[in-house]
Amino acid sequence: MTRTAWGGAALAAILLGLAVVGPWIAPDPLVMDNLATGALLPPSSAHLLGTDQHSRDVFSRLAHGATVSLTVAVVAVLVALVIGATVGVIAGAGGTVLAASLRRITDLALALPRIVVLMVLLAAIGTLPPLTFAMVIGATGWPAIARLVRGETLRLRRAEYVVAARALGAPSPRVLWREVLPGALAPALVAATLGVADAILLEAGLSFLGLGMVSPAPSWGGMILESRDYLHVAPWLLLVPVTALVAATSSATLMGEALRRFLQPDTP
Amino acid sequence: MTPLLEISNLRVMFPARDAEPVVPVDDVTFSLARGELVALVGESGCGKSLTGLSIPGLLPTGAVLGPATSVRYDGTELSALDERALRPFRGQRIAMIFQDPMASLNPVMRVGAQIGEAITAHRRVSRAEVDRRVVDLLAEVGIADPAARARSYPHQLSGGMRQRVMIAIALAGEPGLLIADEPTTALDVTVQAQILELLDRLRVARGMAVLLITHDLGIVAGRADRVLVMYAGRIVETAPTGPLFARPDHPYTAGLFASIPRLGGTGERLSPIPGNVPRPDQWPDGCRFHPRCPVRVDKCARERPLLLAIERDDHRAACWVAQGNTA
Amino acid sequence: MTPLLEVEGLVKHYQSGGFLSRPKPPVRAVDGVSFAVAPGETLGLVGESGSGKSTIGRNVLRLEVPTAGTVRFEGVDLSTVPAGDLRALRRRMQIIFQDPFGSLNPRRSIGASVAEGLEIHRILPKQEIAGRVAELLGEVGLDPAYASRYPHEFSGGQRQRIGIARALAVEPRFVVCDEPVSALDVSVQAQVINLLLDLRDRRNLAYLFIAHDLAVVRQIAHRVAVMYLGTIVELGSARTVIEAPRHPYTQALVSAVPDPDPGSGRSRIVLTGEPPSPSAPPPGCPFEPRCFHPLKDNRCRAERPLLRPVAEQDVACHYAEVIATPPAVPVP
Repeated sequence: MTRTAWGGAALAAILLGLAVVGPWIAPDPLVMDNLATGALLPPSSAHLLGTDQHSRDVFSRLAHGATVSLTVAVVAVLVALVIGATVGVIAGAGGTVLAASLRRITDLALALPRIVVLMVLLAAIGTLPPLTFAMVIGATGWPAIARLVRGETLRLRRAEYVVAARALGAPSPRVLWREVLPGALAPALVAATLGVADAILLEAGLSFLGLGMVSPAPSWGGMILESRDYLHVAPWLLLVPVTALVAATSSATLMGEALRRFLQPDTP
Repeated sequence: MTPLLEISNLRVMFPARDAEPVVPVDDVTFSLARGELVALVGESGCGKSLTGLSIPGLLPTGAVLGPATSVRYDGTELSALDERALRPFRGQRIAMIFQDPMASLNPVMRVGAQIGEAITAHRRVSRAEVDRRVVDLLAEVGIADPAARARSYPHQLSGGMRQRVMIAIALAGEPGLLIADEPTTALDVTVQAQILELLDRLRVARGMAVLLITHDLGIVAGRADRVLVMYAGRIVETAPTGPLFARPDHPYTAGLFASIPRLGGTGERLSPIPGNVPRPDQWPDGCRFHPRCPVRVDKCARERPLLLAIERDDHRAACWVAQGNTA
Repeated sequence: MTPLLEVEGLVKHYQSGGFLSRPKPPVRAVDGVSFAVAPGETLGLVGESGSGKSTIGRNVLRLEVPTAGTVRFEGVDLSTVPAGDLRALRRRMQIIFQDPFGSLNPRRSIGASVAEGLEIHRILPKQEIAGRVAELLGEVGLDPAYASRYPHEFSGGQRQRIGIARALAVEPRFVVCDEPVSALDVSVQAQVINLLLDLRDRRNLAYLFIAHDLAVVRQIAHRVAVMYLGTIVELGSARTVIEAPRHPYTQALVSAVPDPDPGSGRSRIVLTGEPPSPSAPPPGCPFEPRCFHPLKDNRCRAERPLLRPVAEQDVACHYAEVIATPPAVPVP
């Protein structure tokens, strides 16, 4: 593995560790500890990353938030991948009418700005539990993947080894599944990994705007939202979640890049 | 008369991090006289393309020339020159054409403009003069209706015409040496014949030397003055065309002839050379052809044979057995 | 003896544009071709780019649907065969490709690629497949231990052998060889040609051998069909067509073949001009614009000659009775 991959993996490991182990070792994020004197304390041995305005331990909020943010991002990407790959393969390999209509639908969906769509949707629906929220984000991410998969499918259909499989008598579903799809998925996987970064930021952004998830469990976006009023006295309230976001996004991007170099070595 | 091009001990190396460097061109020596057409013949992986590229200094990044390497063009040592010093040579005195014209031509530029670029790259010429010269060049390479054709884009032309445009670009600088790296491999047979005829005609008309790099022995017959046969990074035989075809001395050359299908057809099976061409990182010791050679002896696996004359002075082969030196 | 393959009036046009842009004239890749191949026979199909020879290969195997004409395999008209039966029929008619790099799935081991046909048609129970794959690899001259390796670990010639093994796995009677040696080095070409000859003898295979190199075709074909711009211009035994061609294009083709024999004294015909585009063929004889036949006249421009018997072969030329003397210099 290259340095890129190692860097991304290291960051991911730290964050995953935070997300998985953190909630166990960190104190309850909801506990408002010592309301009177425990608020807005800077990082110390008692509170690793300080406390927020409600005397809640920032470290535990970060850790719990990690679980939420990362799960949402991964689920969103998986949803986008499944929908996008299916649509993409059919659009690339199906009969003329079906393929053409799917292509138009994909293009239309791509034309709508994702964040606006999400904002409108969530404003209308109201707040959601995290998993549903994740699926909504994923449901807006499929067009980009579909377009990639469709392009690869079209290209691979003409590949000689695909013709060879047909010449051997393979029925079309088998040809698609065994010959075309594995090749078409490669760029989609890369896009998906990079898409995790997008999803993390989307979730954070939407939470910051107050849309999307309701949970007593904090999310990083929510933490940023709440930090606004206290910046001048407790800057760590902003710095901590932002650093975490940067780390998570970088990790996903680095690993996506490493994956791309591995799966698609000929692309620049 | 001094040769136009003199290559001595050409060695191209690719240093590897934790291993022996890979040496795809290993101690190649030959020369070209003015107006001569010399064919450098070999199969893929033998190093002939790299040999051609090393002359105008167009080797890929990472390539290093051996310390004893000398590439002299018209008396000037090219291997010692840096990019800036080499530039006046490229295009103007040494020109190169490649196998796939579509890859070498700019797809979004009209061909006339591309030829024009080649003209103005080395000298200042007025617009009108450039246009005139472009039309002249296109006519010289046999393109009908050259004035109109100059305004075409590469994709509007056939493969043969694109190759002619490449040749026109190469000629724009009035080079003394043209290196043609597999110029007809991607073309149809009838077009191939046209292009080869054109190269020959141009050579005679301009007194230009041509180094023709190819894997096809057939196109060499009747056109080249001399032939150099390359195998695994080394020249294994060199001779004027007639004597080489009449009586190849090196077993590899003989093997190549035996494995080429003939139009005449003998009704007998071809006799292919057994085995595969070795990769540059896996070259055999001694004579590199010995694992596949039908006449090898013990000495062949131990010592590398030298390129020596056998019967005629100008016909040399690197083979212990052919030299009668098998002790 | 019933021919194994009978092609009559095969036509294949490719249409482009036509949805949002104005439809362009169709590319007439194959414009009326008829021939037959007997069991165990090798028919060479020779032509340059734009001649339509590769298109014929795919249409004969029904990998594409012809625009018109009939293809009969083992007496059965392929256009009337339902999809399921067609798949079963595919066992008996196979294809090997030109590009040794593109014709194998890079993500699959070569053993799995060779076994593909065995699995699709359920020819053997699972446990016997590996053994059969090993046999096949041995038959094409490869070490059976290589079965677990991937295509990129092999040379061009070796990959070509793998492709041949894959085609042989289903026990075909007829194989379309689509320029199988064009992308290979000279010494490897000879190895693969010999392999194809051995297999033909051993398994009594019929080949439709598509190539642009007449010398290669001479090695392997019993009969040769020469194609120009989508039609057959000459058809006869390999020897006759190459040694005594009657169509001017065949003459030019024969003379253009590079001959590694500088003293052969073969006269060189150099054709002028370019092959015309298959989307705008001339109305009469397709070769007329470049033809150097002394009797060439207006009839050639207006009327397309049909393939008809002249001397020992079939020729599509109005004046084939008179053999054109090749011009010593290019025709202006």
